[in-house]
Amino acid sequence: MNPDRIEQQRIAEGLEEPVEEAANLAEKFGLDPFPVSYWIIDYDDMNELIAYGGFQTRYPHWRWGMQYDRQQKQGQFMGGKAFEIVNNDNPAHAFLQESNDLADQKAVITHVEAHSDFFKNNEWFGLFANNPDAAAMLERHAETIQEYMEDPDIDREAVEAWIDHVLCLEDNIDQHRAFVPAEARGDGEDVEAEMVDEKLDELDLSDEVRDQVFDQEWLDAQEGDEEVRFPAEPETDVLAFLRNHGKAYDEDAEKAVEMTEWQRDVLEILRKEAYYFAPQKMTKVMNEGWAAYWESKMMTDEAFAADDEFLSYADHMAAVLGSPGLNPYKLGLQLWNYVENTTNRREVVEKLLRVEGVTWRNFEDTVDLDHVRDLLEPEPWLVDVVGHLDELDPDDSRVDAAALERAHDGEIDVESYPWKVLTYEGLCERHYSLVKPAFRGFLKRISQSELERIARYLFDTDRYDSVAAAVADIDRAAGWDRMREIRESHNDVTFLDEFLTQEFVDDNDYFTYEYTHTTRDYRVTSADYRDVKKKLMLRFTNFGKPTVAVEDGNYENRNELLLAHQYNGVILDIQQARQTLERVFQLWGRPVNLKTIVKEVDEHDVEVARRRDREPEPEEVGKLLRYDGEEFSIEDLPWDAVEGIAATDIDYDTKPDEWLA
Amino acid sequence: MGLKDDLERYREVGEEKRQDLSEFIQYGDMGQSLPDEVKVPIKIVDLPEFAYDQRDMGGVGQGDGDTPDVGQPVGEPQPQPGEEGDEEGEPGEEAGEHEYYEMDPEEFAQELDEELGLNLDPKGKKVVEEKEGDFTDITRSGPASTLDFERLFKQGLKRKLAMDFDEEYLKEALRVDGWGPSTVFDWAREQHVPVSRAWIETAYEEIPAAERDRWASIEEMEAEVDRESTATRIRREGVDQVPFRRDDERYRYPEIIEEREKNVVVVNIRDVSGSMREQKRELVERTFTPLDWYLTGKYDNAEFVYIAHDADAWEVERDEFFGIRSGGGTRISSAYELAAELLEERYPWNEWNRYVFAAGDSENSSNDTEERVIPMMEEIPANLHAYVETQPSGNAINATHAEEVEEHFGGDSNAAVAYVSSPEDVVDAIYEILSTEQEEVTA
Repeated sequence: MNPDRIEQQRIAEGLEEPVEEAANLAEKFGLDPFPVSYWIIDYDDMNELIAYGGFQTRYPHWRWGMQYDRQQKQGQFMGGKAFEIVNNDNPAHAFLQESNDLADQKAVITHVEAHSDFFKNNEWFGLFANNPDAAAMLERHAETIQEYMEDPDIDREAVEAWIDHVLCLEDNIDQHRAFVPAEARGDGEDVEAEMVDEKLDELDLSDEVRDQVFDQEWLDAQEGDEEVRFPAEPETDVLAFLRNHGKAYDEDAEKAVEMTEWQRDVLEILRKEAYYFAPQKMTKVMNEGWAAYWESKMMTDEAFAADDEFLSYADHMAAVLGSPGLNPYKLGLQLWNYVENTTNRREVVEKLLRVEGVTWRNFEDTVDLDHVRDLLEPEPWLVDVVGHLDELDPDDSRVDAAALERAHDGEIDVESYPWKVLTYEGLCERHYSLVKPAFRGFLKRISQSELERIARYLFDTDRYDSVAAAVADIDRAAGWDRMREIRESHNDVTFLDEFLTQEFVDDNDYFTYEYTHTTRDYRVTSADYRDVKKKLMLRFTNFGKPTVAVEDGNYENRNELLLAHQYNGVILDIQQARQTLERVFQLWGRPVNLKTIVKEVDEHDVEVARRRDREPEPEEVGKLLRYDGEEFSIEDLPWDAVEGIAATDIDYDTKPDEWLA
Repeated sequence: MGLKDDLERYREVGEEKRQDLSEFIQYGDMGQSLPDEVKVPIKIVDLPEFAYDQRDMGGVGQGDGDTPDVGQPVGEPQPQPGEEGDEEGEPGEEAGEHEYYEMDPEEFAQELDEELGLNLDPKGKKVVEEKEGDFTDITRSGPASTLDFERLFKQGLKRKLAMDFDEEYLKEALRVDGWGPSTVFDWAREQHVPVSRAWIETAYEEIPAAERDRWASIEEMEAEVDRESTATRIRREGVDQVPFRRDDERYRYPEIIEEREKNVVVVNIRDVSGSMREQKRELVERTFTPLDWYLTGKYDNAEFVYIAHDADAWEVERDEFFGIRSGGGTRISSAYELAAELLEERYPWNEWNRYVFAAGDSENSSNDTEERVIPMMEEIPANLHAYVETQPSGNAINATHAEEVEEHFGGDSNAAVAYVSSPEDVVDAIYEILSTEQEEVTA
């Protein structure tokens, strides 16, 4: 064994206990992670893993080299330090950097446990596979593609270029639906028919009724009341459509030819990987926030960091959360804290509104929320378990009786792990959010309108005769229970949509900005939560990319491809769209078209608007971009040709109305 | 397969085998960094994709403690999650996009030197201080403690070596049959033996008469007797006496070093008149910024003067410089008038290296170039004058400033003219400008 290995071995031994206890604690907190395998690696290996997206073996491609180069330079010139990397797999694999100090290692471990819980329980991850065999899958893909590259009959550069073409469209998949092989995806028509069939089956009608009412004729009529379209519905999985109907372009013959087997195969492999990675991109804010939240619970609140390690940990946290710009870790963590606090507050208020004589109208005058907060303080023995060990009642539902017995026998180190003798309920009270110094004002900040809203949905039963009685009945697990539900079903878009409120935006100083023509720079436009939400949704919906779907695979009856940009008020980067279209041509083999809407601003209008210190009103114009393999053209489309793709009710512009000319 | 292979492929992107990708190589906007913190864009190959127009998209920012007011500028958009960079980013990867790595300007200058094969040697100008260096200068008198004994000894030894000769050998010569002191003296001189006639005469007298014919001839003596070199003899006998002489005494005193600080002032002049549209302005920024970095890296102390002009010229701060736009006409000489004034007042030529860089679209009011600008470029003393023409769409008919300047100064002077019509031309322009300076220095 070489000295490096011995060193890594030594570190590994030192981490065995934290790893085991982090998993135990995560479970106590109600998390349910995949088992995690930890690996200790050195700096170079870490850079490499990051470059390869967390996996050891990926298909040969220059971009891994580019990412490695960047990662390395960052480390070299900017002192950037990679802390952790974990991949979505069962078991999950997490990598710890040899040179991290113990506090950082522990932070990584707690962080990773929470990610692993998220991977396992979030439904969007389930869309790819509930039990992804990711490392093996990616390795198989790597081998296949390498074989093609090494095949003497296939030009290596051709394979590499083909990969590049496909990667340009890697976000053009249907990430909201479960992954199915492209072949099985069909083109809409069959799916539709099957669905009607299925629905009928579900209705469980008698055969007679079915034959008479929903006969074949009716079914056919359901499908093709208009012209036959191909695809029947716009296809957002552009890669699948190209895989099934695309051709390659033969430069020498100057015509479209059938894709070779390796071309179809590579396309499908990359499409599958895009589906595998999609959930991570769709849940970045939630997932990072989730990990940061539980990391902080374990490290700080459960003293996972020893006293001497705490400062170093706090520095690390500050660095991660303090990086500039809109930071998904921070946004996520703040949102999760907010969800916890609002859920807990709602629970408190619901109970209080049921106290005799309290209504939402007189709430403020009749209930002393400072007093309520004092009542909510956890029992002293829950705060200082070690100091009260002898007073713990094994029959209390907050005490883990079996563990308590073992603690008395000296089998559990209560000094280091006080949480071991508590149950989930006990931990909920111990960590109750509304009494935390950071959130002391939260309960009192409840607005009249929220009180009214909560009151409206209350059944007027089960009255309490005193505030104390109501408080005693408060479920302190409400916050955590709700958080776990949310982490199962939401993605970033729905998460932001549901939980971003004015209170949150005000508390955390979020604002929107826009480019203004008058000043030629970016200006703050709004701090209204609806605006902030709109902009965030734009960032997170569809990976922050415009939706482009296949509208017609036989455009103008010439076998041309027509893509349609589903315009939502924000225009395309036309330059990039052109370049992408040139790549699409390589995968279609015949001329390709893209329908879109652009905003045109007259230089003269800008001048005029500027003089009045106003923003010019752009004009929306339909455009058709076309690339036939040699020439690129762009022409105006009449408005009725693009009406179908135009935004109707969404407006992502947050400029104040009075700015508009 | 593996990292090495992928790194190799990455380096080849944009090269011969993967020419098709060269248009996607990005070098970011260099204007983002200030002269004291150079952010050098790294080679990022961004494959195209269907994406939103960045400007039309806007974004979300977060205030630090409070929310900024509506209408307040926010600077360049903050990095947004969900964008590039960490495409397949595993949770936990550092957020944000890094298309740069930071370098200090010195490193940058070094890289650029290597890249372009330049080696500009900055001249020291202003004398900052005279300070005592090592005790390396010497004088003939001084306190005993500074006596350079080593030198005295060496000189003495040299003297001894010069005067020393193989006495025994010479005495053998006196034993040659028929040779007397006079013959031996002449022979010794021929042999370059530093001996006096007196010594020979004394030695001859001491030789018993019977021995005076030991050798039949001088040839026989030379063949029989080995001559010993001075060095061998000293090694054998040791130096019993070194003749110290007052003449050889030297006293050391500290050297006075004139620290010449390498000061540079760079005057950046930009045409901000109506014809200078967005694209042209960007090109100016792309050319000026690396030049600024380069000179910052090369000199100890770099100062910058920014002059904006249309028909009139005024001094501005750096952060305004690349953004300003005015409506007026153009008179380039106005900027040179202001430059001359400012340089004279603040940056005297005997103390400062001066670089005067002007940029614009070559439009100028009639005769201004010939009658005023060119004479002033000749009059204002500077290491280098340069004019950068930014004309994205080739030449406009009336825009002849660059040509006129180029024609007048020709190839061998301290004035450079460079043409930039797209970002790809920037590196050539920088080379053109800096290599002109280099010729000047070495000439």
